[in-house]
This record gives sequence, structure tokens and C-alpha cells, in this order.
Amino acid sequence: MSKADNKPAAVAARGVTKSYKLGRTRLDVLKGVTMDVREGEFLAITGPSGSGKSTLLHLLGLLDRPDAGQVHLHGADVTRLAGRGRNRLRCSQIGFVFQFYHLMPELTVLENAVLPSMVEAGVLRWLAVRKAARQRARQVLQQVGLSERLRHKPKELSGGERQRVAIARALMNRPRLLLADEPTGNLDTKTGRAIVDLLRRCNAEGQTTVMVTHDAALAAAADRVLVLRDGKLAS
Amino acid sequence: MYKLLLCLRYVARRPIGYLAIVGVWLCVSMLIVVTSVMDGFMQKIEVAAKGLFGDVILEPAGQEGLAYYDELIERIRQRVPEVEAGEPFILSYGILRVPGQPHYREPVQVAGIRLPGREKVSDFEKGLHFQRGRPPTWDPPRKLLLERLAEERARTEGMLAEYTTGGKTLGPRQQDLIDRLGVALSLQQRAAFLVQNAEDFREDIQRLQEAARKAEEDGDYEKVDSLLARIDQLKQESFEPPADRVILGLGIQGLSRRTEDGEVIRYLVPGHKVMLYIFPLGRTMSMTDFSPNQQLFSVIDDCRTGVYSIDTGFVYVPLETLQKLNNMEAELDPDDPNKVLRPARCSQIHIRVRKSRADERELNRIAGKIQGVWAEFRKEHPNAAMTEMYVQTWRQRQAKLIGQIESQRVIQIIILAFISVVAVVLIFAILYTISVQKTRDVGVLKALGASGGGVSAVFLGYGAIQGFLGSVLGTATGWLFMRHINDIRDWLSESFGFTPYSREYFLFDELPTEVMPATAAVILAAAMGAGVLGAVIPAVRAAIIQPVEALRYE
Repeated sequence: MSKADNKPAAVAARGVTKSYKLGRTRLDVLKGVTMDVREGEFLAITGPSGSGKSTLLHLLGLLDRPDAGQVHLHGADVTRLAGRGRNRLRCSQIGFVFQFYHLMPELTVLENAVLPSMVEAGVLRWLAVRKAARQRARQVLQQVGLSERLRHKPKELSGGERQRVAIARALMNRPRLLLADEPTGNLDTKTGRAIVDLLRRCNAEGQTTVMVTHDAALAAAADRVLVLRDGKLAS
Repeated sequence: MYKLLLCLRYVARRPIGYLAIVGVWLCVSMLIVVTSVMDGFMQKIEVAAKGLFGDVILEPAGQEGLAYYDELIERIRQRVPEVEAGEPFILSYGILRVPGQPHYREPVQVAGIRLPGREKVSDFEKGLHFQRGRPPTWDPPRKLLLERLAEERARTEGMLAEYTTGGKTLGPRQQDLIDRLGVALSLQQRAAFLVQNAEDFREDIQRLQEAARKAEEDGDYEKVDSLLARIDQLKQESFEPPADRVILGLGIQGLSRRTEDGEVIRYLVPGHKVMLYIFPLGRTMSMTDFSPNQQLFSVIDDCRTGVYSIDTGFVYVPLETLQKLNNMEAELDPDDPNKVLRPARCSQIHIRVRKSRADERELNRIAGKIQGVWAEFRKEHPNAAMTEMYVQTWRQRQAKLIGQIESQRVIQIIILAFISVVAVVLIFAILYTISVQKTRDVGVLKALGASGGGVSAVFLGYGAIQGFLGSVLGTATGWLFMRHINDIRDWLSESFGFTPYSREYFLFDELPTEVMPATAAVILAAAMGAGVLGAVIPAVRAAIIQPVEALRYE
């Protein structure tokens, strides 16, 4: 029994389906997936390429809408939530880590980390919270071990360091849910392991985390592993 | 806030964006220069036309002129309170000659004006050199003339010293210029001597005339001839009375010269004399009696208006003198000199209105009122003018010229506007390229919670900043170019023999150098608008793209 078994669901999918059109062909990516992620849980979603792992993560992160089924975030059905509401939730409650880091090359490490706070605050509020936000960014960058690289540009960092900046950025607004899409997919094994350890540490501090990976060894570090195959949960 | 941060970073870190800035920069510079030159010409025409001929001009259709002009001016001033002053003016044609130079003859337009008085309706006095800074008159104090002649001589000596000491390098033209300065200096010294001794000459002439009369009474005709020859010689050198004085346009060929540095060398100055042959156009005449009247004049000053055609072709003489030479003077009854058979006439009346900045609509209204006064006046004085009277504003009078410049301006702006479209397309192409390159960034921003509007604002802002930077640089470059446009023209002319500006064609001797703030503001705003316009499609693309689609973009 996992430590999070008795906690409420941070995010849940209820019979979600998703398909894409590729030219004239319709591709059913998710075929009625139902799953929960408990608060404080570290869940790994694994499966072969094209099994729908990333699509499921995008649906859970409100980056996309399911064709059918529902997505619940902290108990509320957010499936049909309007764009502005989804933006707000993504900004304040969800943090994303991507396989290719997706850092802004024009910004420094510190500016990349502080970006979510800028998006959340707006112009006037930013002037009031600027100092605190930068302090928070320094704190999360220290947490990921990059306090010495604040003024560096992403191109001056290694792959592992870049991914740590991406994790710091994802943690910046203290999200209740951290979604990591193949966070080690672009890294060597050792660095990948270090990143998963970092995610694990964040989870240990109470951060609900969902990690998509095709690497079974890394998935083993999670509290629970869901396997997707052909758009359906296999376990 | 992230929008501003990203805009600024995109501007600073995306070198491809510099191309768009350069595009806007060049377009704005071009537009600033062309519109400023054209606007400058228009403004110069306004200043010149108003400065020379007043705000409103009354002119009969024929050459015979307008009688009772002083009464009419007074009537207009009484009936039209907007009118500040009016002055009669005569325009005739003649040949200018310089005594002692048998080969010199120059066709000129001769303007008859009153001094003082002319300054009430025009800025004529502003262009005077020897009477600068004081109310102009046909009889300025001799002391003033001597002081100003001494200053002019010192200036000429200074130029000569500058060229002879090697301070300037003019190549083969240097010796010619030095020779000319030497001639000018010698002429100026002689003129000062003549002004200095003008009274003595006048007294000598009177004394010799008296002696000649006495010798004639005594029957000593040999002595009479000798005395008359001496009188003629003195007359050539004496200073003529105020009625026979002339102000020369500073630019009449052969009487002055402008150096490549824009300095003026004056050959004819106060004290010198010129002969004018006037064609008397003021009266009806047969085909055979068209012979010119001639008169010797003393030069009293020179005038520079900045209008090339006027400065190179006009001389100014007293109104009453030109009336006589143009056969426009009052015709008296031989039996009763107090009876005027035909009143004195002028060619035009120039009116200045109280609001010197009155717009065209206001001037039209005033011109209409003046036309009404004229209609009433003509009933009382049916022979005041033999022909129809035109009452025109300065703009109506210059309509042909203004129309030409206006149409050139419009054509050039249309051409440049087409060229400026290139800048918009350039910004669009660059921003579109950048927005495509930044598709994943758009996805990330949306994943971080940024709205479609917020992301599109990044691109709109980026376009606006590019437009702004290009506009500011373009305005600054255009302004700098305008400030040195005449130097650039001279340099092109000297270095490559290419003269992009013909004084004869454009009327003025200098290209305008002012940038009109209103025009510059419109161009600046339009360029910034162009930047935003070029960014619209990339911004819309960024706004509508789905986050997942953007994140997966390859």
C-alpha cells in the first residue's frame, strides 16, 4: 500500500478518449482511460512509443481536451473549463517538465525560472511581487543545485543542467501537480538518473508528480507505475 | 511583464530582426527627407509670397494700373478691420547697365515701392544688408552707410586674407577668386570714398552749374562746355538724391558673386551707380512710341529674399520714380497745374492682414470683403481701373507653382509609400520566420498559463519595437540629412559634377533644411503602425495555435 493511497485524487481521468486525424486517417490515441493520481504520489506512466503516454499527460495538464470522458483536478471537473480558467489553473496549479527542456534561449537561468511568476502576476502585480518572485526563483534554483548559474544562458548549460532549470521553472509557482514528459529522454543514463532523483526528492517534500517515461528502470523509482498500451491502461 | 521582457530580448538577441529595423530606418529617412523638402518648399513659398507681396493682392488685369490707390487702401482699412496695412506697388521691366562697363546689360524686373512703408506689408526689410536691423528708407544716414561699408570691406579683406594665407584650398579656381576679391575690395573702397564725399560733390556740382550759367551769360561758350563736362563727370560720381536710388537684388548676375562656401562677394555697394532703362508699360501707346525711359540711380542697398528668381532678377526703386519712368505718374493740366487730368497709378496693392497666420479660408473671406469694397469704390471712381480687378490671396496668386509642387509631393509620397510597403512586408517576413522558429516557445508560454492574447502581444510588441527603433533612427538620420542637405548637394556637385537640385527650377537658392515636427510625427507613427501591422499575422498565428500543437511543432 502506497503512502498516498488514502489521500484524495490530485488529478483524475474518467474514460477519456482522444483521437487525431492524420490526413484522411483517424488515429485513436486514447481509448477510454480511467486513472487517478493521489496527492503526494509519484506516478510513472510508461509504455511503448505511440501508446498515448504524452497525450494522457497533456489531457491531465489541461493542454488539450479529451474527445470524450472527463478530467478532474482536485475533485473539480475541468473538462469543459473555458480557456481563461484553464490558463489560470495551468499557471497556478500545474508545472510542466518537457523532454527537450523548452527553455527560452534569450533569457538567463534566473529569468527562465522566474517566468511563470511573471505570467501569473501581470504587469502591475509583478512590480509588487518582483522581489519575492526573484527570491523564490533563487530558492528553487538552489533546490535543483544551480544557484551558481543564475546569469548563464541555457546554451551555456549541459543537458542535465537545462533540465534542472526546467524543473525549477515548473516548481516556481508552487504547483500542486508536477507533470514531467520524458524528462530524461534527452539525457544520458547517469544524468537521467540524477534528474529522476531530483523529482523523487521534490516528491518527498510533498510534490504530486506524474512522470511519463518509456524507461522501465526509471519508472521503477515511482510509487506506482501505469502502463499504457494502444491507448489503454495495461496495468 | 513577460511580454515586455521577451520583446526586448527578441530585439536584442535576434539579429535577423535588425534587418526589419534597417528597413524601417531607411524608409523613414527617405520619407522624412522627401516630405520635409517638399513641405519646406511649400513653406518657403508661403513665407516668400507673403513676405514679398503680402497676404492679399489687388491687381488690375491690364498694364495700365490702378488709380486713387491711397484712397482705396484707406477705404479698405476702414471697411475691413482685419486689414492691417496696404501699400501700392509697381512692377515693370527694364535693362540694367553699369556706368563704365559698356558690355554689361542685364534684363531685370523693376519694382516700385515706398520706403518707409513697404515693411508694413512685407518682410522686405529683413533681406536688406546695409540697412539691416533698422527701418528701411531711401535716405539712410551717411554715417550708417559708411559704417556698414567699412564692415563689408573688412569682411571682404578677411575673405581675401583667408584665401591668400592658404586657409582654403580651391585648386585652379583660387586665383580667380582672389582676383575677384581684389576687384570687389577696390570697388568697395571707391564706393566708401564716394559716399564720404557725396555732400562735397553735390556742392561742387551746384557751384559749377552756377559758374556755367554765368559763363553762358558772358558768352564764353568754351568755358561753358568745359564746365558742363566737369559737371557730367561729377554727376557720375555723386550720390543721387533719395528719389533716384535703387536697391539691387542680391544675385543679379555680375553685381555680386557667391563663393562655394556660400559667402557673398559684393561688387556694387552703396555709392555706386547703375543706369536703368525702363519700358513704359503704364499707358496706352502706339506701335512706334515704345522707347525706354532711362535714369541714373545710386545704389543704396541690396536685398536677399532667398527666392532665386527674385534675387537674380529684381531691382527696387522709389514708387514715385518708377511711376514717372513707367508713364504712370499723374498727368496735370498744362494750363492749370492744380488740375489733375489723370491720376497717378500703381500696378498692384499689397495687403497685410492683422492675423499674419490667417489660414486660407480666413484670407479668402477677407479677400471677398475687399472685393466688395472695390466694387463700391469703383462706382465712385469709374476710371480707377480700366480693366477688371483681381483680388487674390497669396495662395491663389501662387496657385500654379503651389499646384506643381503639391503634385510632385503627392507623387513622391505615393512612390515612397509603395517602397515603404516593402518595410511592412520585410517585418512580416522576419516576424513570421521568428514566430515559426518560436513555435515551441509559444507552446511553453501557453503551458505556463499565458493566454493567446498575451502571447500575441509578444509578437505585436516586438513588431512595434522594431518599428519604433527604425522610426527613431530614421527620423534622426532624416533630420541630420536635412540639416546638411545643402552641404551634401554642394559636395555631390563638386565631387561628381552632379547637381541634384537646380536653383533655377526650384526657385530658391537653398534647399529647405527644416524637418516639420507634425510631418515627422505622422511618419514616426505610421512606421510604428507598419511594424505592428507586419506583426499581426504572426501574432494571430501565435494566439490561435493550440499549446499541444505548438509543443509538438518541428
